[in-house]
Amino acid sequence: MKSIITYIRRKLSVRISLWVVMFAALIFIAALSFLFYQAREEVGTEAISKATQILDKTSLRVEGIMNRVEVASGMTKWLVERHISNADSMFVYSRGMLTNNADFYNCSIAFEPYFFQKWGRYFSAYSKRFAGTGGDSIRTIQGGSDNYQYFYVDWYLMPMLLDQPCWTEPYMDLDVRTNTREMLTSYCQSLKDEQGRSIGVINTSISLNWLSHIIAGVKPYPHSYSIMIGRGGTYFIHPDTTKITRETIFTKTLEQPDTALTALGHAMQRGEEGMKRMNIDGVDSYVFYKPLGHTGCSMAIVCPESDVFGGFNRLRRAVMAIVYIGLLLMLCAFIRIITNVLSPLRRLANEAETIASGQFDTQLPVMKRIDEIGQLSHSFADMQQSLVKYIGELKDTTAQKASIERDLHIASRIQMGMLPKAFPTYPDRDDVQIYASLVPAKEVGGDLFDFYFRGEKLFFCIGDVSGKGVPASLFMAVTRSIFRTVSVHETMPERIVTTMNKTIAEMNKTQMFVTLFVGVLDLPTGELYYCNAGHDAPLLLGAGVSTLACDSNIPVGFMPSWNYSLQKTQISAGTTIFLFTDGLPEAEDATQAQFRQERVEEVAAQALAQQRQEPQQLIGLMSEAVGQFVGGAEQSDDLTMMAIQYIKEQDDVWQRKSIVLPNDVQEVPQLNAFVEEVCEAAGFQPGVTLQVQLAVEEAVVNVMKYAYLPDTHGHVTVEAQLRENSLTFILMDSGKPFDPTTVPEPDITLSATQRAIGGLGMHLVRQIMDSVTYAREDHLNVLTLVKERTRGSVCN
Amino acid sequence: MSIEHLTRKLCGAVACFVLFCGVAKAMAEEDATIVFTPQWTAQAQFAGYYVAEAKGFFREAGVKVRIDHPSATQPAMDRLRNNECQATTLQLCQALEIVGGGVPLVNILQTSMNNAMVIVSARDKDPLTLKGARVGIWSVGFGQLAICMSIKDQLDYQWVRFAQNVNLFVSGALDATLAMSYNEYYQLMQAGIRMTDKNVYRFCEHGYNVQEDGVYMTRDYYLSHPELARRFAEACRKGWEWAAEHPDETLDIVMNYVNRDRIATNRVLQRLMLQEVLRLQVDRESGKREFRLRQDMVRQACDLMLEHKMLSRKVTYEELIIEQGK
Repeated sequence: MKSIITYIRRKLSVRISLWVVMFAALIFIAALSFLFYQAREEVGTEAISKATQILDKTSLRVEGIMNRVEVASGMTKWLVERHISNADSMFVYSRGMLTNNADFYNCSIAFEPYFFQKWGRYFSAYSKRFAGTGGDSIRTIQGGSDNYQYFYVDWYLMPMLLDQPCWTEPYMDLDVRTNTREMLTSYCQSLKDEQGRSIGVINTSISLNWLSHIIAGVKPYPHSYSIMIGRGGTYFIHPDTTKITRETIFTKTLEQPDTALTALGHAMQRGEEGMKRMNIDGVDSYVFYKPLGHTGCSMAIVCPESDVFGGFNRLRRAVMAIVYIGLLLMLCAFIRIITNVLSPLRRLANEAETIASGQFDTQLPVMKRIDEIGQLSHSFADMQQSLVKYIGELKDTTAQKASIERDLHIASRIQMGMLPKAFPTYPDRDDVQIYASLVPAKEVGGDLFDFYFRGEKLFFCIGDVSGKGVPASLFMAVTRSIFRTVSVHETMPERIVTTMNKTIAEMNKTQMFVTLFVGVLDLPTGELYYCNAGHDAPLLLGAGVSTLACDSNIPVGFMPSWNYSLQKTQISAGTTIFLFTDGLPEAEDATQAQFRQERVEEVAAQALAQQRQEPQQLIGLMSEAVGQFVGGAEQSDDLTMMAIQYIKEQDDVWQRKSIVLPNDVQEVPQLNAFVEEVCEAAGFQPGVTLQVQLAVEEAVVNVMKYAYLPDTHGHVTVEAQLRENSLTFILMDSGKPFDPTTVPEPDITLSATQRAIGGLGMHLVRQIMDSVTYAREDHLNVLTLVKERTRGSVCN
Repeated sequence: MSIEHLTRKLCGAVACFVLFCGVAKAMAEEDATIVFTPQWTAQAQFAGYYVAEAKGFFREAGVKVRIDHPSATQPAMDRLRNNECQATTLQLCQALEIVGGGVPLVNILQTSMNNAMVIVSARDKDPLTLKGARVGIWSVGFGQLAICMSIKDQLDYQWVRFAQNVNLFVSGALDATLAMSYNEYYQLMQAGIRMTDKNVYRFCEHGYNVQEDGVYMTRDYYLSHPELARRFAEACRKGWEWAAEHPDETLDIVMNYVNRDRIATNRVLQRLMLQEVLRLQVDRESGKREFRLRQDMVRQACDLMLEHKMLSRKVTYEELIIEQGK
């Protein structure tokens, strides 16, 4: 079965043919159903008409004879009642009835018991016709006796009780001499005396044998038959002669109820006329019935349905056979025709497969047809030529695209290479842990992050370039390079950002911009200096989750003259700074719903609660959460996260000492003594001590000379902090703000005369000291000089 | 020849005569044929007698029996009275009427233990509501109980005597008709009359459960042929018992008699009739076929008929039954 369906699905010709044949079959079924229905109705109507004609004819004939009996009986009754006193004349009247009516069977004129005293109890003038060799003879006798008490029989009682003339139920009269039975029915009417009392009955019988022969011979169809029942349902005519007078139409129903037969019997008893369809002796039949005059009898013609509709059924079978065969032939013919018509399509299909396998130059069959298939063939040839052309172009395009993709891939690797990628980057550090991740939405992205240590400070930034793809990535690369360049010279984030902004804005022709967060974490103190240029505020995971307060600064790249503000906060030990780009809160799922800032904070809080604020764990948890949220949706934006955990608050100052000097260079010896003392405590070699003295002196003298206005008094405080690995000098003054670290490096390749005045002092300081940083705090200039205690610098 | 000799010869002759007469009587009784006339035409109501004849029970009992049915208009009793037959079946009430009328009868076998008479009214009416209605009754003399009931219940039925009632009833000439539950009842059903609880009145359910069919002989005949009568009755009883045990074969036998007499009936009707007749032979109280006349029922029937002046004198059970050996 499955293979047949597969075959049909594969063969268009079979499918179309089947559709056509099915459609035709539907039309045939509808048309033939209507035709058969109508024809059947017609046949049924004809059968009814046929049966009705027979019934009417028979009924009329019976009625004709009965009318004669009734008229003759009525006339005799009139005579009898006129001569009621003369018993002997009754014999004459009785005999006269038969003499004058050759088809009357017998006649009785019977009286009530003892009506004629001389005749005693019984008097019935009875005449009967006998068939003899010399013709019919009539015998007249007195018929009543002890053996035949006529006044108890139906023909006598019925007219008396009903008080009207009536026909008796047919009955069988046995002729003892000939031992033959005659089916009779009698017309009886009561005789009245002058007072209107019933005194007797005149009864005239006719034979119904002729009727029996007529009805029994009624055969409108080969297997049809006729029946006649009396008032009591008794069969008087039936093809099964054993039933006649012995059974009624209801006999069978006594043992096996048959509602249809019972209904028929009752309808016939009521003298109704009609037709019923029912099952008789296991045969579906039509029964047509009609009463026979006033006899109380009813006649029925039983026609088996197979007879009535025999011709119709033969015709129907023949037509159906022709239709079946015709449809089959039609199916075969259509399949063959359509197969032939579609054969070029098959060739085209094969050629299409050949072309599809890569042989674009295969030769197509030449077709001279101008119909749709011809047009298809021509179109196919055109398509083949176009295909060859386009495939060639496609190859070139594909090669170009592959080249671009290769370049992009390289660019991506370069871009990623710019960013710190080996984590942990500083495994030996015990004061801070850093972890970051960047997932670009395209091959290359516009997000950036960076961090590095300078001295005891951690410089870091995170940014997001407007737009995506290659332009953004280039912008990002530029931004990151500028950050590195600027942050080498600048210590404070706002300075870094301001410088970067000026640089970028001036060269920005594409109106792109970058949101940027730059931070400098002072590792010894945990102080965080930061500047936010329009970037998402980082989260702080410490005692709780909080958002770092950020000033409203515009992103970098718009206005070169914008002054960015500096902000500061204290980071306590164990706190994690979580920085991210807008790709995190704006990550979208398949329904384009966003991850949102609240959810970022929820995940951060969850990480904190689970003690998983360690950078790598935190970013892992955040990545997992956003990954689950996004599901299979395409990444809409670059996603960058960076986490910095400040672990240890450094408080490892071994020794702290300070000196306050007025702004008078006369105080330099005192300074040198102080520095020497401290350097000794630090264990520096004498040469190193001298260098440090020189550097500190240079820085302090700078302050004494330039920080305050001439002839004004001021102070400079020098605090020395000795640590395990370094000696730090912090110079603080309340003079005018000045960052010496911004003094450009002198070109030392020039001769002394060619060089500009100044600048050498700071150059010296930078050369001697390992770290020089400046900050303006609480209206103080704070210059921090660090000299590391290395093996080469300290005594063994 | 002396007187003694003469006397001796005379005595011898008398003895021979007496002996001859005795033998002759015995021989006459032995050779006598009992003409048995059931009270109706051939039907399953008389199945036991047909069985006794067909299965040879009469022959085995040494009784010659000829079953001779009456005509529709001549009662069986007339034949008995005219000595045209020696045994007949009668209903108990009929027997009481005849005995009361001066013809002594002997019940030699009682087959019915229950009353089968019903009144069927037309048009689904309760017969007890049909005051003054025209009710059909058999012309041959059944229906005494119905007449009693009509008087007692003040229904004043007009009795219409008929030879055959179905057609009269169906044609509407009668308002109601008497019927036997084994015969006319089924004939009426066969004529399409619907029987309901309403239009059928069963006498046995209204205090008139009086036995019906029994086999009777004139007292004279019985007294002159007691042994013959006993053997005849015994063979009849045997026939009925066999019929009760073999209803299907019995029905075949009945149909032979029916067909022989060309009775207008059929096997279905006869099967129903046989079932009903056999049912009526079972005594309600004992649940057995007792084949005995019940004294209480004789008394009940007699009292009813006396009360309604259908009997001129009381007829007793003892008049109907002659105990063997008495």
